[in-house]
Amino acid sequence: MSAATTGTDQTLEVVGLSKYFEVPGTEHFWQRRRKLHAVEDVSFTMRPGTITALVGESGSGKTTVARLIARLYEPTAGQIVFEGREEPRHVNREANLRYRRQVQMIFQDPFDSLNPVKTVAYLVGRPLRIHRIVPRGQERERVHELLETVGLVPPEVVAAKYPHELSGGQRQRVAIARALAVEPRVILADEPTSMLDVSIRIGVLNLMIRLKEEHDLAFLFVTHDLASARYVADELLVMYAGQIVERGPTEEVLQDPLHPYTRLLLSAAPDPNAGLHTRTLAARTPQDLAVDPEGACRFVGRCPLAIDICSTTPPVLAEAGRGRQARCHVTAPGGIA
Amino acid sequence: MSGVLEGSDRRESPISSGETLLELEDLVVEYETAGAPVRAVDHVNLTIRAGETVGLAGESGCGKSTAGNAIMGILRPPAAVAGGRVLFRGEDIGSLDTEERRRYRWRNVSMVFQSAMNSLNPVMRVGDQFADMMAAHERIHKKEALERAGDLLEKVGIDRRRVRSYPHQLSGGMRQRTVIAMALALSPELVIMDEPTTALDVVVQREILEEIQELQKELGFAVLFITHDLSLLVEFADRIAIMYAGEIVETASARTLFDKPQHPYTVGLMHSFPPLTGPMTRLIGIPGSPPDLARPPSGCRFHPRCSFCVPEKAALYARQTTERPVLREVGPGHFVACHLVEEGGA
Amino acid sequence: MSFQPVTVDRPAEAVPVEAPVESKPGRRRGPHAPQWLRLLWGNPKSRGGIIILSAMILLAIFGPWIATHNPTAFSLDARQSPSFHHLFGTTDQGVDIFSQVVVGARSSLVLGAAAAALATVLATVLGILAAYSGGVVDEVISFVTSVFLVIPTIPLLIVVSAYLKSSGGLTMILILGLTLWAFEARILRAQALSFRNRDFVLAAKVAGESTRRIIFSELIPNMISRIAAAFVLVFYVAILTAAGLEFLGLGDVNHVSWGMTMYWAQVNSTILQGEWWPSLFPGLALALTVVSLVFILAGIDEVSNPRLRSPKRKQGLTKRLGLALVGGNAAVRAHTEEDA
Repeated sequence: MSAATTGTDQTLEVVGLSKYFEVPGTEHFWQRRRKLHAVEDVSFTMRPGTITALVGESGSGKTTVARLIARLYEPTAGQIVFEGREEPRHVNREANLRYRRQVQMIFQDPFDSLNPVKTVAYLVGRPLRIHRIVPRGQERERVHELLETVGLVPPEVVAAKYPHELSGGQRQRVAIARALAVEPRVILADEPTSMLDVSIRIGVLNLMIRLKEEHDLAFLFVTHDLASARYVADELLVMYAGQIVERGPTEEVLQDPLHPYTRLLLSAAPDPNAGLHTRTLAARTPQDLAVDPEGACRFVGRCPLAIDICSTTPPVLAEAGRGRQARCHVTAPGGIA
Repeated sequence: MSGVLEGSDRRESPISSGETLLELEDLVVEYETAGAPVRAVDHVNLTIRAGETVGLAGESGCGKSTAGNAIMGILRPPAAVAGGRVLFRGEDIGSLDTEERRRYRWRNVSMVFQSAMNSLNPVMRVGDQFADMMAAHERIHKKEALERAGDLLEKVGIDRRRVRSYPHQLSGGMRQRTVIAMALALSPELVIMDEPTTALDVVVQREILEEIQELQKELGFAVLFITHDLSLLVEFADRIAIMYAGEIVETASARTLFDKPQHPYTVGLMHSFPPLTGPMTRLIGIPGSPPDLARPPSGCRFHPRCSFCVPEKAALYARQTTERPVLREVGPGHFVACHLVEEGGA
Repeated sequence: MSFQPVTVDRPAEAVPVEAPVESKPGRRRGPHAPQWLRLLWGNPKSRGGIIILSAMILLAIFGPWIATHNPTAFSLDARQSPSFHHLFGTTDQGVDIFSQVVVGARSSLVLGAAAAALATVLATVLGILAAYSGGVVDEVISFVTSVFLVIPTIPLLIVVSAYLKSSGGLTMILILGLTLWAFEARILRAQALSFRNRDFVLAAKVAGESTRRIIFSELIPNMISRIAAAFVLVFYVAILTAAGLEFLGLGDVNHVSWGMTMYWAQVNSTILQGEWWPSLFPGLALALTVVSLVFILAGIDEVSNPRLRSPKRKQGLTKRLGLALVGGNAAVRAHTEEDA
């Protein structure tokens, strides 16, 4: 089904998504409750045939966003809108299955995302069975087709294997095949290549690009690696301490980053092409900042551009022309998100 | 017994920069298995000079960590050195007795392990762990040890009051810095770092690597940097050795390796990093996966994945599949083990 | 949208194909012993345990046929020390002890196994339910578990046995099962909790698996070794407790079991009269059985957690505890090893 037939160019939209967690150790009633604002007011749109990269460091909330969209967590606030229809909060089994047929996920750890006591045939075949994608007799064949699609050949041999008999790259491909089994519209990929060997990563990234093109899928690519984000993504979202701090077409954001954090990431990323960089500022982990945040920009402690207003008023995500947005008093002042 | 291992005496005969500090001579490390022994390190030759940073790069299972462990002398059964020697300042560490070896470890050579930050004892304060470690190597008062610990923490950019902290109270980056400080506690001449920044954010990673460089300038130790991330090495190492399936396939200065990689595997690796700046191209990576060391391919171990190994070139193909290539010099300080390169191809 | 699988010939440019996967020759999964059995056999402790336990099981099965005399028959050969005719000697009433021990095996083992089965099922169901449901269900189950944990088993058994007319096998099994499940329930709950957030469980959720299916197909297969350990543990505790109760006189006097033999030995003051054999042999049988189970348990533990394999001495408990938590790591070994 292409975008034309659905009548909408938005596959999945996230509106004002927030997720607060209780900080461990503060659950009892006599302690002051402290909340970790893991995700704060995140909104973006995923379109068919595009890859959207969500970039940030650990603690930025990017994995939480992916899991919220995968409905592994319930949001504290905000909605998920799929094909124009808002997804209700507490769902019955039918609605749950319907959603899961459209939105699938790939996890970071190829050694942990496959049940070690099940064969590949079982793992890839389960979604087929649950959602009744094909009649019983054709399951085996469809599993083999899926394995071929992700480049695991010969499929009969692979299907009989257990996860520990496969390499990291092969396991990740099995995970992709499993996600593809239900013929989803959206695939959420949570750092799918971080734990793979460098020479294997490209293969998986190329596979993503190919699947996006051939099946018009919408991908959310969560990563901390700007270079691989650049390689696959059409749109780039940068997250810091639970908030989106910059957004725009990938190439534009990387050529001319607006938010100081984006600039910091760019300068810190290893790039053999350039020489050694100058010293970067000392760091405070984003985790600290996202607990009961004060009324200030969350980046203010590390920011080389900080001015007075940064410590008193949190900036909003403002338009900066050409589909770009940034959350910074200095580089993208004023405006309404 | 040479002056090498007599603790404080060592400092009276400092090694001059440029002199060979550590040498791996035809090193072989095998793991015993139910079947035939598996060679994790297969006739590896490597030289590390005083004060320099040597990068050892390769993917999972290539043997680089095993080589690092062999240099430290901490191989445990079923792994053992089965051939060749590890020479520190010309002395074979295999010939050291227990006591000498214990002093060698941590005084002459120390190590920062992969995710070492997660192996700090969670129920002991950081300072106590320092003190413990120092007490294992020399007679030192607890108070003095804690002072020294504070000094070391400051050196790596951590407030000295953190000596009283527990590991879980420190961030990942701080824990890794603590571990690095511990590795430097006895002023070793060589520090082996095995994936020291893999679990860290890219910003913290850069900070730590830059700090290590500063410390190197100040204290003069050499670094063996073991990692799978070649892009880091190109920036931080003086020389790089590429390891594949237990063998070293190419060695060169960092600049040379980046500008003119010769071995097809190195070339493949170089082309596995999507560029952050400059023009975008579709990359291919390297098809297939590293071999099972229990049954390595015959001849050149990379040949099943090498795009230059084709049956059409019969003579070359025969060599590639039967004869193991040897490291040969192809430029100043630039060594490659490849039949194709030998025959002037690619 | 119909899903067109892409054919294998792709444009040369961006070929994501992995090298063909080889099927491993030899070692098929057929008539060979299952993996877990091979692992337990490989471990010397558990191998010993398996051997002894097997011997006891054989005894339990073939007891009546191996017995040389009727284990309940009085005879005139009273108070005989072990001889060729009465291998383990006789009691004050002339009952052959060898026959008692050999026939009594059945009772102890069956009772232990049944109680263990009951307790394990309860512990598994409740533990996993608590872990997976969370919230109120978890709170309630945890509370109930704590209550049962606090109840002292033997006094409870004594009281209940005293009240009930029949202190037969079934009652004992029920009571043992109901008092011993709590300990393991807590452990299994903790383990299930640790699995709950593992990626493969989350992946199953995202694929649309129902909770029931996740518990039975994803969680339990991965918890089998711990569940087996739970079973073995309750097994030997039950055997000991049952024997203990019988020894205290709360058993069924018509019953033939190791505990009862020891009870009679005690009642007749045999030790005071210098007759060691009525106590020793059943006691030995009991001890051997329990030890075999403990060894098997140790084997299961060591197989599923390699860190338990080599204990370290010479260090303070707290420090060792901390080391155990991060143990097995090269960094720790380098710091603490004397030699490589």
